[in-house]
Amino acid sequence: MSAVWRLLDTGSLPAAANMALDKVILAARSQDIVPNTVRFLQFSPHCVLVGYHQAVELEVEEEYCFQHGIEINRRITGGGNLYWDEGQLGWEVFARKDTPGIPVRLNDMYRLMCECAVAGLVRLGIRASYRPANDIEVGGRKISGTGGTEIGDAFMYQGSLLTDFDVDTMVKCLKLPVQKLKDKQVKSFKERVTCLREVLGYLPPMETIKQAMAEGFAEVLGVKLEPGKLTREEEEMLAQELPWFQSEKWIRGTRTLSQDNRLSIAEYKTPGGLIRVSLRLDRTRSLIKSAFITGDFFAYPERSILDLEAALKNSSIRASDVQKTVREFFASNEVRIPGVEPDDFCHALYLAINRTGDENEQVLL
Amino acid sequence: MRAGKWQIPETLYYSPDNYWVKLDGEEALLGLTEYGQYTTGDIIYLELVPAGATIRQGESFGSIESGKWVGNLVAPISGIVIENNCELEPNPRKINSDPYGKGWMLRVKLNDPCAAEGLMDAAAYQQWVEEQVRREQEDEVLA
Repeated sequence: MSAVWRLLDTGSLPAAANMALDKVILAARSQDIVPNTVRFLQFSPHCVLVGYHQAVELEVEEEYCFQHGIEINRRITGGGNLYWDEGQLGWEVFARKDTPGIPVRLNDMYRLMCECAVAGLVRLGIRASYRPANDIEVGGRKISGTGGTEIGDAFMYQGSLLTDFDVDTMVKCLKLPVQKLKDKQVKSFKERVTCLREVLGYLPPMETIKQAMAEGFAEVLGVKLEPGKLTREEEEMLAQELPWFQSEKWIRGTRTLSQDNRLSIAEYKTPGGLIRVSLRLDRTRSLIKSAFITGDFFAYPERSILDLEAALKNSSIRASDVQKTVREFFASNEVRIPGVEPDDFCHALYLAINRTGDENEQVLL
Repeated sequence: MRAGKWQIPETLYYSPDNYWVKLDGEEALLGLTEYGQYTTGDIIYLELVPAGATIRQGESFGSIESGKWVGNLVAPISGIVIENNCELEPNPRKINSDPYGKGWMLRVKLNDPCAAEGLMDAAAYQQWVEEQVRREQEDEVLA
């Protein structure tokens, strides 16, 4: 007989309430006062969320958010900056780490959790798949990003599902590797993400989407989901936690001392065409935070450049590591780009990594 | 000594949260084990409590981010931090590449000279890791 988990649907809430609830439900699960739980959540008003270790001033166009009524908050999970409009659906799993079938190794857990969401999307008629380390994609385009955290012996894993997405607002309210690029390249950047409406040609009712996603989680986790509500203890904990999650100290109080978020752009000419690379770099930690690669070369399959960008995310900027990341990517994927060799991408990346801000001003496209 | 592909130095003590402790009189050095860094994945952010902070066994002494996962660092012993490894904040992947060497996290003055009580020796930790791996494999078979 299947284990019974709670299915929570907390509806549309402000960002602070949703962030507080993440902590409350996780803490309650770690104290064993609530069962394993799947939660659906939505945001109203729309908001920008930064990852736990990120700094708002480096990740968010605050003036734009202020002018457009976009709330800003911080997640208790890792990862990057996100824009949540009111049409998106969030999903979360809260469980004890020793739940049978939950992998110990985090990379294996990411895969399992993403497979739950993929199973839900398949029920909606979408051929989605998991892309390591933490994304769900359709034809190479991201439709769901995920992340997680833990308290004691319990964990939370969460994801976004783009239903009907306002990509123009996303590009304006987040600091992304597209500032100062031409419209054509910004358009290409926007095509990195997709949503249910675009894939299906219509937007199913939210209740249909939730039903399909719930079935996907139940199937992959091998559990029965029973609709439930927040307990009295959780409601009380929420009332206690909410002021903290509304405070500037929480939202802006990253304890990570030194961060960096520089934009670096470069072009590299190859026989197969021009490679344009735009990187967000954390030089303090020697990391590529995000990569955006375009050009007039032809890649087969088309999605391979998007997959390369995913492989470069959070990878090291050291020359030997860049070469290793790129070469391993091409060695383990069937990619053909006439006139462009894997090392050409390395050179383009080196150029961007080694540029300073002033040099970037001279190579703006 | 090894458990599977993971090294387990015999001179160290271990917690079930996968931290190692090297005792040296009233002081101890601590860090994440090789198996611990394997289950965590590539580490991209790390925050450690500063020198002078008090840490308590079983409680958090910082946070760690790998992939998009944020986890607490859980103290294997109690004491006062003498030094944190300041090389790790800009280079957290040293924990992945050299967990028992350059990836050390804290040097601590112990509250109690019997601090190792409650920790596992290398042989016990080896069994513990093997048990984790066996359980995981059983789960995979059941799935």
